[in-house]
Amino acid sequence: MRPGRVDMVVVGGGLIGLSSALAAAGSGLSVTLLEAAHCGRFASSASAGGVRSLNRHPAEIPLARAALELWRRLPELVGDDGGFSAPGQIRVAEDGANLAMLERRQAMLQDLGYDHERLIGRTELAQRLPHLAADCHGALIVDDDGFADPLRCVHAFRRACVSAGVTLRERCRVSAIEKDGAGLRVVTPDFEIATGLVVNATGAWGGQFAASVGEPVEIRPAALQMLVTARLPPFVDAVVGSQGHKLSLKQSKEGSVIIGGGYEGEVDPEYGRTRLSLSTVRQNLATAARLFPHLRAARLVRSWAGIEGMMKDDLPVLGASATTPGLVHAFGFSGHGFALAPLVGRLVRDLCLGRSNNFSLAPFAIERFRPN
Amino acid sequence: MPTDDVDLTIIGAGPAGIAAATTAAEQGLTVLLLDEQTAPGGQVWRQAERLAASRSPVVGADSKSHRRAVAAITALRRSSVDYRPTATVFDVSQELRISWLERESGGSGEADATRHRIRECGSKRLILATGAQERPVPFPGWTLPGVMGVGALQTALKTGGLLPAPGGLVLAGQGPLLLLYCAQILALGGRVAAILDFTPPGRLGAVAGQLPRALIGDPRLMARGLGLLVRRALSRTPVYPAVTGLVARGAGSLERLSFESRGRSRELTCSLLGVHDGVIPSTQMSRLLGLEHRWRDDQQCFEPAVDVDGRSSDHRIWIAGDGGGIEGAEVAGVRGRLAALAVAESLGRDAPAGRSPAALRARRTRCLNARRFLDRVYAPLPLECHLTDETTLCRCEGVTVGAVRQAIDQGAVGPNRVKTSTRCGMGACQGRMCGPSLVRLIASITGTPPDEIGALRIRPPLKPILLGDYLEPEPAG
Repeated sequence: MRPGRVDMVVVGGGLIGLSSALAAAGSGLSVTLLEAAHCGRFASSASAGGVRSLNRHPAEIPLARAALELWRRLPELVGDDGGFSAPGQIRVAEDGANLAMLERRQAMLQDLGYDHERLIGRTELAQRLPHLAADCHGALIVDDDGFADPLRCVHAFRRACVSAGVTLRERCRVSAIEKDGAGLRVVTPDFEIATGLVVNATGAWGGQFAASVGEPVEIRPAALQMLVTARLPPFVDAVVGSQGHKLSLKQSKEGSVIIGGGYEGEVDPEYGRTRLSLSTVRQNLATAARLFPHLRAARLVRSWAGIEGMMKDDLPVLGASATTPGLVHAFGFSGHGFALAPLVGRLVRDLCLGRSNNFSLAPFAIERFRPN
Repeated sequence: MPTDDVDLTIIGAGPAGIAAATTAAEQGLTVLLLDEQTAPGGQVWRQAERLAASRSPVVGADSKSHRRAVAAITALRRSSVDYRPTATVFDVSQELRISWLERESGGSGEADATRHRIRECGSKRLILATGAQERPVPFPGWTLPGVMGVGALQTALKTGGLLPAPGGLVLAGQGPLLLLYCAQILALGGRVAAILDFTPPGRLGAVAGQLPRALIGDPRLMARGLGLLVRRALSRTPVYPAVTGLVARGAGSLERLSFESRGRSRELTCSLLGVHDGVIPSTQMSRLLGLEHRWRDDQQCFEPAVDVDGRSSDHRIWIAGDGGGIEGAEVAGVRGRLAALAVAESLGRDAPAGRSPAALRARRTRCLNARRFLDRVYAPLPLECHLTDETTLCRCEGVTVGAVRQAIDQGAVGPNRVKTSTRCGMGACQGRMCGPSLVRLIASITGTPPDEIGALRIRPPLKPILLGDYLEPEPAG
């Protein structure tokens, strides 16, 4: 089978790849997306679904804030709201020392000219989270942050891609990218595609891909664990995190409580398999139950782990290849790419087409890993 | 604390698990036997010790097999097996590290008896003896309170002596368990208002040619089966044959049934409906472990791929009893012994004198002839017999057949894709109740063989676990 020649080949069918394919197709490019498993299989469908600008690395703040605007407009972009709502995200300080750290963060943001993160004291925190353990000292809050339903988003972006004319090929593993005259050739076991543009949106496998074109990076595959309880009566609307402990906790519209925060299980990236670790599951639940003591009576019904690509500096690789003209990298989002995905697709398109925009992507350039 | 490695862990203390544990202990292996119930016996021998003491008529019809149950349990109690009741296994790792929740005995007061604790143990070998589950039979109204599996009704009878209110009970479906339960109810002086027989007309005639071979195979089983048929005929229970289009209705709970029998529409009032269409292997744990499974077309279910002694696609793991394919309680003990002997051999133990796997294998083959006859008489009904698009498929998440059909139309090619787009199978039962029907539905809609479709992925915990039980206990004060 020979699909022949297309303008762009996106490798990787997670949200980043889907969003990139959708944006490019929207600008009139012919796009083929190749996914080794099925769309959203690894990181995207295992995501906690947080849409967070709170506590972002300064380099990511402009992206996260701009992405929020796109989340609000998701129905017009992909024909579905993706389950997005914006009840806020809250980062709790459990003691005075942690509160001091939040205060320092807010001061730093003010110096940079940002005012979306707001410091709140005990009283407002207790009003905002009535079920929170009483001894918390305060919190940072972003009122218009929120969360979405990752599975719904994957399906919505996938459907939107199909409607926009993207050719989706799942269970199709790319074996090589080769230079082909002035363009590129994407090789799979069954066929080859000639193209001018290739997007590396292969998540945890992005490092292998980059190494294959001569630009190795430091990336570590990680199995980030997610835990889900049986349905409970509504008790929290915002997404809750903690300054002192790793935690991300939210209650879905169905009533189940989704608990994560970056606790890692074991990962076997070669076979795409993950395994949860009982000891980190217990740490994660202990943190959740410390902030919300009534959760001790909830039942854990399911847990899973996706495979994320973690960069050493916790920032993604987002930019043009330094070795291979026509190749754009968008991987290694280090466990917090979900919130950025609607915007990243457009940034990738702009990179491919050489269009300018208002964002500084220098901190995400792959050259930062080049040995001096 | 049983956190040290053992030679063998067996999960499930039914006939297969008990036989495997006792045999392995005789071979000198250190054996851990984990079971969810408070006493050994599994489903078939549930409460066997207690019923023996009370001489309950529940067991009267089948006293020979009951004596065998008590003997096996007594042997287990006298063995060196570390038998742990109330142990809910919720995860097994690829390294065969087993995690379970166990009720703490200790403590002084009644309240302390409900304290549970997570325990872990590594194991060189593993035998899954997790048995069978009832095949879910979805039809319009099957989620109404008052509609139950016959297996669940029988459990209530065995544990609590619970006899349904007279006149209110209707049994629907097919299979030996349905007849056995009916006979038990009648023997205890209860009444079954009607039996709605799902068996298509003419099936008994079509398989009658198998009868002689089956009788030679296991006279006891056949005598038992035929005895039940006679008992049913003699009782005054009305039987509606060749039932299709069953619908349960009621405001809040079951009040009435409508159905077709031999082409005529019927209505019945009833408050309790027991439904049954046979049993299928319980594969949650074998799927969690990523073992190979194969679709049994005649039984319309997946079963783990195993060799003659029950060894799975993972050379450290065996399956014994109905979890490795439905063959019944009679053979479960034989399969347990075969697995235990194979485990002992794999750990370098010498073959024991006087315990020949060949003889056990031959006995199993004889019993299987009778089983094949039953399998054909009570071959599973087509899923579509009673389904409509409005019928709930996944009761935990309230997902309808129509919603699944729509997801498939939109490109969801397997159960896990259907799950992520509809939430089918995401509830607390982890697809135990919808998964088997989901595979059949996808196969019938898409025409894809189930072996290509695959099954729902299983995630720990295998059973819902109280969050508080995961937390390390508070230091004693």
